[in-house]
Amino acid sequence: MSKKPIRFRDVAGPGNDPLVSLDAQTLLKLAPLEEEPVLRAPRASWLERYDFSLDGFSDFDLPKPKTSEEQERFVQAFLSGLEKLFDPQNNWTFLKALKLSLDYCLHCQTCSEACHVYLASGKQEIYRPTFRSEVLRRIYQRHFTAPGRWLGSFVGADIELNFETVWRLLEMSYRCNLCRRCAMVCPVGIDNALLAREIRKLFSQELGIAPAELFRKGSRKHLEAGSSTGMTPAGFRDSIESIEEIIAEKTGRKIKVPVDKKGAAVLLIHNAGEFLSWPENPAAFSILFDAADVDYTLSSDLLGYDAVNYGVWFDDLELGRVALRHVEIARKLGVKKIVVGECGHAHKALCVVADRVLPGDLSLSEVPRESCLPLLRDIVQSGVLRLDPKRNDFPVTLHDSCNVVRLMGIVRPQREILQAVCAQPLREMTPHGVWNYCCGGGGGFAIMDTLNFSEWRNTVSVRMKVKQVLDVFRDVLDPGTRKYVVAACSNCKGAMRGAIAHYGLKEKFGIGYGGLADLIVNAMSDLPRPYIEWDQER
Amino acid sequence: MAFQWFTILFGWASFFLFVVLAAYKIHRIATLPLNLRWEVYPVPHETGDKHLYGGSYMEEVDWVKKPRPSSPLAEWAEMGSEIFFLKRVREHNPYHIWPLSLALHWGLYLLILWMGLLAASVFVPALTLLTMAVGISAFVLGACGAVGLIVLRATDRSLALYTTPIDFFNLVFLAAIFGLGLVSWWGDPLFSLHHAYVKSLLFFRPTPLSPAVVSLFLLLQAFAIYMPCSKLIHYLMKHFTFHEILWNDEFKVKGSSKDKQIDRQLSSLATWAGPHIAPGKTWREQVRGPSAGEAQKK
Repeated sequence: MSKKPIRFRDVAGPGNDPLVSLDAQTLLKLAPLEEEPVLRAPRASWLERYDFSLDGFSDFDLPKPKTSEEQERFVQAFLSGLEKLFDPQNNWTFLKALKLSLDYCLHCQTCSEACHVYLASGKQEIYRPTFRSEVLRRIYQRHFTAPGRWLGSFVGADIELNFETVWRLLEMSYRCNLCRRCAMVCPVGIDNALLAREIRKLFSQELGIAPAELFRKGSRKHLEAGSSTGMTPAGFRDSIESIEEIIAEKTGRKIKVPVDKKGAAVLLIHNAGEFLSWPENPAAFSILFDAADVDYTLSSDLLGYDAVNYGVWFDDLELGRVALRHVEIARKLGVKKIVVGECGHAHKALCVVADRVLPGDLSLSEVPRESCLPLLRDIVQSGVLRLDPKRNDFPVTLHDSCNVVRLMGIVRPQREILQAVCAQPLREMTPHGVWNYCCGGGGGFAIMDTLNFSEWRNTVSVRMKVKQVLDVFRDVLDPGTRKYVVAACSNCKGAMRGAIAHYGLKEKFGIGYGGLADLIVNAMSDLPRPYIEWDQER
Repeated sequence: MAFQWFTILFGWASFFLFVVLAAYKIHRIATLPLNLRWEVYPVPHETGDKHLYGGSYMEEVDWVKKPRPSSPLAEWAEMGSEIFFLKRVREHNPYHIWPLSLALHWGLYLLILWMGLLAASVFVPALTLLTMAVGISAFVLGACGAVGLIVLRATDRSLALYTTPIDFFNLVFLAAIFGLGLVSWWGDPLFSLHHAYVKSLLFFRPTPLSPAVVSLFLLLQAFAIYMPCSKLIHYLMKHFTFHEILWNDEFKVKGSSKDKQIDRQLSSLATWAGPHIAPGKTWREQVRGPSAGEAQKK
């Protein structure tokens, strides 16, 4: 990537050329990889129609404004949204955290090297956690504060506000995985990831602009069709039939997966993407819950079979809407609690963040929401399963989902499970646990594939995780030795799938990935054959 | 004589203005709406070894029904390590800020202690020697820290890009205070005149002072008024960023004060203009809808 020093005023510069251009030579080195896919420039036809003025990448297939009037309307809408961001009625949800983070950052840059995107990019300035925050801060100061109006550049309120500035700020908000590792190290408690999310929120809630995969084909489709995958209740019931077939075929067991069972103890909600991409994961849950005699049910109600809540990445209202429906379904079924399957952001949305956008009778005290990991740990440790760790006699590492570890403090259960079901000691990445690095798919990136965004994801945001995986397996990189990256999160699995394909990690090094429940079932000694099929795409 | 009275009155006015302005700043943040839960682990009030590895009560099944032991003391210990040792800066800052920032912070802490000792030594003369040692240490550390940070911020591009003129102004202000402290100490090695000023302040008895001592105290008092208006008051805001947001893991219990507060906040109007947001509705109504049809009509 070019290392031409960037100044804040450059953000408002002409949009014909990107502010920076990727250069493979300056990216974080991935030692065992001798070569990697060549970076391609955006197609000429795209360049005419869409805006790539930040770094040559984009997920937004929105036509460029044709006239200066259109550009001006865009800027004015942004300013209107910015004003609402600081209004206690419109943004009561995060106003306190927003104000504190915007007003009290001391620019010490302690957060910089906590960011995997910044490090992976070769320390490119525009990806530094504070860069986008500073652009937002300077615009806000100039337009909405007295010191900014009166003192201008003396207080840093010196960025010209034009279409290019606003567009680049939008793009910058989608160069952060929202992993919040930067917030962990800030001496003042400033949260730059929160500021990235607030920018996303402004664009979504005021201008209706968000990546199509998150909004139009994401939360909107989720609320209207029942799932962001487009799966309808009828489609879900078909999936359950095929799950039962998978179970029968792989284990010889005839298990009836309970659906819409009133009064069950547990409502289990999976990320619906699992049914389509990794059906062996929900099947593994059914095998385990059946063996442990857990009184549970799935739901075929609209939204009840898809735990995702993309609003947690970009829109508070969408966050509340999806969470409300999830909890109401639990109420309707009369279950005692909701347990979230292997999906990190769904964990955080349902078990933590959405609690305070729900009415009192749907509070966590009334309808508890929990992670699946402690329950799986208790099942494994209860002795009801006949487990033979030798069935998992291959090198295993654990990718920690940021949402589960750093943002919920669930760190040990998954390790206790792996200790019980694996023959070889767990290979911990450096760093791991709450200090882990994001998979690079966080904040919605795992599913964002419009235009050339996935190329940026695979080259920059997943890069640190690829390095960690290669490092942790450095003594067993021979492709003949099969290795397993545990990712107990659908989005992390999606990011791993993309990274493995992009860098050829399976062919070159024998590195595969999968869920945690799958690995537990693979250790069950009373099953006729291994549950994990290495030849599948994993 | 009039100027001596001014130094006394300005001294008290600056103290009260500091208190009032700081209280106003705190009040403004404290009365903002209740934030959604947004914690980051490790949360230090977790007990056992959970606060070390970042575990939480959510590692248990049925945690809603179980006791959730919490150690407020551990939170303050963590905050203490941040305040007195700048722990996060030491462990994570790659730009060599820590020794300079630590010196500046300790310069300020000792400066406050020095002023307290000047006042206390009016009644306890035995404190004079300690007052001297603390004062000299404060001025040396503070001056080194402030000047060092000015140089570092001006020369390291990663810092310079983000350092605005007002950031330099703040550091120059601090450097001037500590520098004047050293100058005034040079002319008054036993801090006798400083002591005399504090005595005049406490007993409202004007007294003649050297220009260096007067300048030092006037600058300090101006700083006391300025600080709450600037981001230098960040130390008070840490209560909110850490205790109320990053370490707040309290879940909502029906009927609790938080539940009632959220209920009130859900009655706020959401006037966002996005196509999926119906006009004129409260948050509660927005979260219930709109249906696909409503959104399309808009």
